[in-house]
Amino acid sequence: MALTRTPSDAPDTVIRRKSSWSSSAVPAQAALIFVLLLLWELASYYLYNPFWGSRPSMIAERLWELAVSGHLWMHTSTTLQEAGAGLLLAALLGVPAGIGLARAPRLARLLDPVIMGLYGLPRVALAPLFILWFGIGLFSKIMMSFTMVLFIFILNVMEGIRTIDQDQLDLMKSMRAGRLYVVWTVLLPAIVPWILASFRIGVGLALIGAVVGELIGSNRGLGWYVESSGGQLDTTGVFSGLVVLMILAMVANYLIGFIERKIIKWR
Amino acid sequence: MALMTSQREAKTGPVVAPAYASPPRAELKGLRISFPLPDMSMLEVISGISMSVAEGEFVAVVGPSGSGKSTILRALCGLLKPSGGEVTVDGKPVSGPPPGVGFMFQKDALLPWRTVAGNIRIGAELGSVPADQHEARIASLIKLLRLEGFENAWPRQLSGGMRQRVSLGRLLAYQPSLMLMDEPFGALDYQTKIAMGRELLSVWEAERRSIIFVTHDIEEAVTLADRVVVFSARPARIIADYKVDIPRPRHLRAMRSDPVFTQLTEAIWSDLAMPS
Repeated sequence: MALTRTPSDAPDTVIRRKSSWSSSAVPAQAALIFVLLLLWELASYYLYNPFWGSRPSMIAERLWELAVSGHLWMHTSTTLQEAGAGLLLAALLGVPAGIGLARAPRLARLLDPVIMGLYGLPRVALAPLFILWFGIGLFSKIMMSFTMVLFIFILNVMEGIRTIDQDQLDLMKSMRAGRLYVVWTVLLPAIVPWILASFRIGVGLALIGAVVGELIGSNRGLGWYVESSGGQLDTTGVFSGLVVLMILAMVANYLIGFIERKIIKWR
Repeated sequence: MALMTSQREAKTGPVVAPAYASPPRAELKGLRISFPLPDMSMLEVISGISMSVAEGEFVAVVGPSGSGKSTILRALCGLLKPSGGEVTVDGKPVSGPPPGVGFMFQKDALLPWRTVAGNIRIGAELGSVPADQHEARIASLIKLLRLEGFENAWPRQLSGGMRQRVSLGRLLAYQPSLMLMDEPFGALDYQTKIAMGRELLSVWEAERRSIIFVTHDIEEAVTLADRVVVFSARPARIIADYKVDIPRPRHLRAMRSDPVFTQLTEAIWSDLAMPS
């Protein structure tokens, strides 16, 4: 349950992040990253052999080569497609499932052990099975991402509906509001922050799903690049893949934060 | 003491079932309400209450906390099914929420994703006001409740008193013929509470809708209402029903030194101090 995040703390982080980004924190953050990279670079000259841990300048050079040859875009777009499709599919099925389960508490109680069992299962371990079932193409990775994220949407939406103020519903009832009116004015606006919080958590998990799928069986993608570089003892290749993955997750997280601020103006 | 006793005797009898010219807006006859407890026994909250509210009458209900004052409001707007007795609004027995009955809670229950005007609009949209008059009605309520300039503010940006004014605006936009108010100003500080009471009175004196106003504040009840009904501790019965003979429009500060006001609050205090 650590992954269901209350929207009350999610947008808070957003607001704090916004102020830290817009105020003087950015130069300090950039300086810190620069210093860390510099220390890494120096350590690779004096403390260890770059064969084991590479060095930032070599990684930058590799990324440049990959970008020029077009391989960077090929691997990145493959991983992005897999993770993106898995994430969207999880949202498309998870949100209605969460609403349905919240409105049918008896069914939710019946399914609870099943859902919690599947949620608790280390779904990464399903990757070999998915490769077997769905092949080494895109689809097996989409399914990996999907299973990683699905429960986040279901559980968050259920929790969001559970936290709707009973007084608001009673008030609607006392004014004889129709079912559709209540869904439109209370239910949907109440779960929007929870859906966005699910996207925020889901981005990282969807990337994990896609990469794990690629590690097990594929012929392209950032996970595949990391895996094949590792197989050739090419630590610079491994780190290059990791850096791109890290940047992808950061950019996606920032984008969702931006969308949250645009949509949820009322907080 | 002798004065209080005589007043109690004088007021209790006839006012419970008053002979008004128009039929009552709402009526409770022998209302009983019990809740099941976890150990399967029943907790009796309301034990046979009969009272009625006339057209345009302002009735306050006071009583010890936990005495089921709020419960009768929930029964009147059909949110709760009584275990016995009759509840009628406009002469019709209540099964679901009846038309023209508006509710206001101690918690404002504003929708945080709607602006001030948007929250008031909910009352208009669900009420009997024709759609082409919504904007005018909302604008006039915003003016009446001194919310001008805050039309587009979000609820989180408002003080407690302003939030309750918006909540009152939503209730008035619904244009209820019976307003059920459950300690609406109970969570506000003393000064805001007095100001809100004054505002409610001016609105009520202009529009004269029937009100049942539940509170545990005796002075608030006497200040605002035409009648004060006193509930006993749980299971609730009516232990007194006073007519407040203070002319309107009332002057909130001046009436505090009015002997009628002092005697009445004293009498209610002693009613509530009595073991029930």
